[in-house]
Amino acid sequence: MRLGGAILKKNMYTRITIVLFIIGLMIAVQYNTIQKPAERDTRDIWAIREELAEEKKRHSTLLADIRSLNEVVGRYEQSEKTNLQGVLNETVNRLKQQAGLTDITGPGVILRVEPAPELVAMGYEIKEISPDLLTQLLNELYKYNAASVAIDGNRIVHTSAIRDINGKTTVNSVALSSPPFEIYVGTTTFKAAQKMYNSIQASTFIDSFYLDNFNLVIEEPTELVTIPAYDQPLTNDYLTEVKKGE
Amino acid sequence: MWLPFLGLVLGLALGLLTNIQIPSIYENYLSIAVLAALDTLFGGIRAQLQHVYDDKVFVSGFFFNIVLAAGLAFLGVNLGVDLYLAAIFAFGVRLFQNIAIIRRILLTRLDEKRHNKKKTSIE
Repeated sequence: MRLGGAILKKNMYTRITIVLFIIGLMIAVQYNTIQKPAERDTRDIWAIREELAEEKKRHSTLLADIRSLNEVVGRYEQSEKTNLQGVLNETVNRLKQQAGLTDITGPGVILRVEPAPELVAMGYEIKEISPDLLTQLLNELYKYNAASVAIDGNRIVHTSAIRDINGKTTVNSVALSSPPFEIYVGTTTFKAAQKMYNSIQASTFIDSFYLDNFNLVIEEPTELVTIPAYDQPLTNDYLTEVKKGE
Repeated sequence: MWLPFLGLVLGLALGLLTNIQIPSIYENYLSIAVLAALDTLFGGIRAQLQHVYDDKVFVSGFFFNIVLAAGLAFLGVNLGVDLYLAAIFAFGVRLFQNIAIIRRILLTRLDEKRHNKKKTSIE
């Protein structure tokens, strides 16, 4: 009788424990749910609209990306049987083009940097062009939708550096020839080239160059500018090739 | 005796540490379920003190009350009547009643104990 009672009691305690466990869990979950908005949203409607606009922009770029990738997929599928290698080559070429490893011929603008003749005549000493000025010009060019740029025959790629090495201004570690030299700027369309021409004319760069005793001559946009390929090996520190079967 | 409290602490810890959240639409249901559970718990304690505790009644009451309360709230939402208020009212009143009864029983017991002690000391 006593043994039976003990078992019964043990059983009872187990049940009560389970019930209390459930109660504790429910209370904790309820507490979590109530405490959820820890930070109040205090933005006004304009801030939210701005954020929305930004997200919309991202949305549209993502959609454009998806479309272009879908096109590639479609092309892969179409030519799967006939000519897979051709499509792959095409992709490789496109990537090479993006990275700046190929010559590009297309519409563009040619800028010429030359020493200001009247200052030379006055006996001013013409120094090296400063890397800062070149960097600023380059940033501005990319802002005006430049597709590819070559400074004095040195193609600018994503790892290019413009810097001062022992008093010599270098691009891709190649010293620039003393002025005059030319900057080739390629654009995607002739219209973009015209727009860039106007933008540079309107910018303060001509004055900035003149402060350094240079004339920045901007030539009329042309349909055919050839921008040379990047001729040095591209180093890659982080990406590695995946071996077959890994 | 300590086992049930261990269960409670374990449940609380698990809920707080895992940071589970339910959608705010179901907040009402959970709150009413918590209330029903607490009501059953205090009912169980009262029954134990009155020596009428029954395991089956306790466990079945626990689950049945929770389901009933949630069901009532659900019905209320669908009918457009705040029926969950009825459940909150009923459980709230019962909760207070139960706690009051528990308090009285404990007070009486305390009194009896003191009385007995006095009696023995006088004798």
